[in-house]
Amino acid sequence: MEDYQTGEETAFVVDEVSTIVKEAVEGAIGENSYQQSRVKQWTNNVVEQCLSQLNKLGKPFKYIVTCIIMQKNGAGLQTACSCFWDNTTDGSCTVRWENKSMYCIVSVFGLAI
Amino acid sequence: MSDLAKEKVARLLKKRGSVSSLGSHDVRNKNLLLKNKDSISTVSYMDDPGHHDDVSRPAVQMENTYQLGPKKRFPVQTVKEILKDVLSSYLLEVKYEAELCRQMTKTISEVVKARVKDMMIPRYKIIVVISIGQLTGQNMHVGSRCLWDATSDTFCSNSFKNSSLFAIANVYAVYFE
Repeated sequence: MEDYQTGEETAFVVDEVSTIVKEAVEGAIGENSYQQSRVKQWTNNVVEQCLSQLNKLGKPFKYIVTCIIMQKNGAGLQTACSCFWDNTTDGSCTVRWENKSMYCIVSVFGLAI
Repeated sequence: MSDLAKEKVARLLKKRGSVSSLGSHDVRNKNLLLKNKDSISTVSYMDDPGHHDDVSRPAVQMENTYQLGPKKRFPVQTVKEILKDVLSSYLLEVKYEAELCRQMTKTISEVVKARVKDMMIPRYKIIVVISIGQLTGQNMHVGSRCLWDATSDTFCSNSFKNSSLFAIANVYAVYFE
């Protein structure tokens, strides 16, 4: 039985993923201002859109997508992540997006099966 | 002269291939400043020092394990206790300061990762995400979704709050088939 997977297919490609994420964020939030009542729906939309697009890539990966939407209020936020994985095949990508009233930070972690 | 010294240190840290996030990581800021009307977006990804060495080495081909699922499951409750313990011990009386909290997030994520690794759960990959934010009456929403195998993969989350800051810790455990 021959292994038909080439090396290129089983690597985490940051550019592809970041494009997907940016489109998802623009589509879900786009021009809107921060609204308390809609924020839950927005985070759900962003994350679901990202995941469905990532799934369509058809790569043998498990994905974790995290989205933080924060109102612009002059407050500070620090985020760090520490990962125990296989450096050759796994990777992560973080996209920061902002408009006049809010920040949106989306992190995607891809782990090869 | 100091620049030369700095370069030497950077090269040394790269050679060591340390995968600690505390090390000198080159966070490549791909400044794709898409000034699309009112929004700006930037992309960044971690360029691990170890990565350069691994590119020349071909990916390791694993043999079949013939295992259907994990022998030992990920102990969610124990990890939740670890998170609670670490967060409260590191952040109990701390006041929010940008530089201090930046270091604190990195330290805490390393500590949590080390403690979870000590539990020696075989064939599990671990991702620890820590966020520390300032409390100024603003509103914030954090959401995450995962595309994985629900029978073997899991996550654990905990939060901490004091008078000036709040902290959120997430640990994701993914089974490596």
